[in-house]
Amino acid sequence: MDSNELEKINNLLDRDVELREKIKEQVNEMDKKTRTIIGILNRIHSTPLDAMPALLDSVRPVLLGCRDTTSALAAIIPRNQFWRWKDLWSNSIRTAIFAALLIEYLSTRGLLTIAEAAETLGIREEWSDRMTLPVEDYLHSLISLVNELSRLAVNAVTLGNFEEPIRISIFVKDLFAGFSMLNLKNDTLRRRFDSLKYDLKKIEEVVYDVSLRKLAEVPKES
Amino acid sequence: MPTTNIVTIFDNFRAEIDDHNDRRERLIKASRDITNLAKKTIFLLHRLVQEADGRELDDLTAGKKASQQAYPKLREIQDLYAKLQPELQGDRFWRYQRQVSPGLQEYIEALSFAHYLEHGSLITFEEVQRTLMDSQGVEVCLRQVCSALYFPLTVSDYLLGLSDLTGELMRFAISGIARRGGRNKASGVCAFVRGCKADFERMTPYIRELSKKQAVTAQSLEKIEDAAYAIVVRSSEYDLSPEMLDDIVANSISSYSDNSPETRQTFGRRRQADHSDDDDD
Repeated sequence: MDSNELEKINNLLDRDVELREKIKEQVNEMDKKTRTIIGILNRIHSTPLDAMPALLDSVRPVLLGCRDTTSALAAIIPRNQFWRWKDLWSNSIRTAIFAALLIEYLSTRGLLTIAEAAETLGIREEWSDRMTLPVEDYLHSLISLVNELSRLAVNAVTLGNFEEPIRISIFVKDLFAGFSMLNLKNDTLRRRFDSLKYDLKKIEEVVYDVSLRKLAEVPKES
Repeated sequence: MPTTNIVTIFDNFRAEIDDHNDRRERLIKASRDITNLAKKTIFLLHRLVQEADGRELDDLTAGKKASQQAYPKLREIQDLYAKLQPELQGDRFWRYQRQVSPGLQEYIEALSFAHYLEHGSLITFEEVQRTLMDSQGVEVCLRQVCSALYFPLTVSDYLLGLSDLTGELMRFAISGIARRGGRNKASGVCAFVRGCKADFERMTPYIRELSKKQAVTAQSLEKIEDAAYAIVVRSSEYDLSPEMLDDIVANSISSYSDNSPETRQTFGRRRQADHSDDDDD
């Protein structure tokens, strides 16, 4: 290689390294926020129903703070290179989306759709080639949500909230039916989906215990 | 009500996931076809150079002729890439880069081998890019290359393809070393490969697989060096004519191919071919 060519190649490589550093910086910022969020959300297992709205209100602003990261990333990722770099922040985004899903469930007992989740993190349609929320990441977050809800079903009962496991059970069964419709290939998503049945079983056991002792009214299967 | 909602949501997910997996499969298949074609091209080049050697053409014309015959094969690959263009448009390229890259590296290996035989030099990044765009693109933007490309060429694929070239050059040098002029050619290749190895060294921290390939390059280089060493040692022991040296060299090569299992087969076959040539003389 002549020296010109060599320099050109080295410049290209240096540029990528610089970009990677910049991205990592942003992701670190986001990780700080998600750790705070997860820390606060851990308290849902010991928070009685009437104190829940206040707890959720305290996390929401932190979650919205993640928008700074997504817009910063959208600004530094070159056109069409979303998939090149996304592995650097997949885990952070999944955690943030998981938090958003959990907050939504605890507020409305409903499912935050992928479009709503993207909006929560301030991800805009026109960034789609640089910063977007892929289905795969959303599904990972959904599975984390189910993992967390199976734990909540147990702890809600401890706190005297006997209705919660039943609501969770219905919600999670719907999700499980949804996941069963997908043709997943043999990857981590598939393995995590396969483990969902243990969460389902755990929730059902709680529902069984609660209904056996007539602590809560179990609605008939529709 | 919520149940039907979830069904629609997951219906959309299924469509998207299926679409992604199907495209991925198609690209893996295409990449395999391209790898195949590229491998055949490399074998063709080796064969053509050997045949030309038999006819005692000088190195440069022999190399030029061989590469001219290989270019149509390489064009077949270029046509395949042209057809893949829609599958790799926009942000898709980077999504499927891992599926595309093996074939692309093999193609670059074949292309750079043909280029070396023709010009005796390393093909540049831009020259590789120019083979991956439609003919209009080449005329329109000789400087502004990127916009007309079928898909972006990554530095890593370029370098990894070139790194594989050194292995082919080792084969090229050693299989030709017993021919008249083969020793000159081998020392040329030796210097060239040494240069490649030095150039790539600075880039290894940036590209993970490159350091592994550097080790292979080092091995190839050592094989050429050992062959060159054997020749110098033998020729100093005896005061021999170049013709007689050729026989001794052929013998010493056979000992190399015996202790290098990954190349033994190729060399074994070529050695027999060498002997039959000698008989004709």
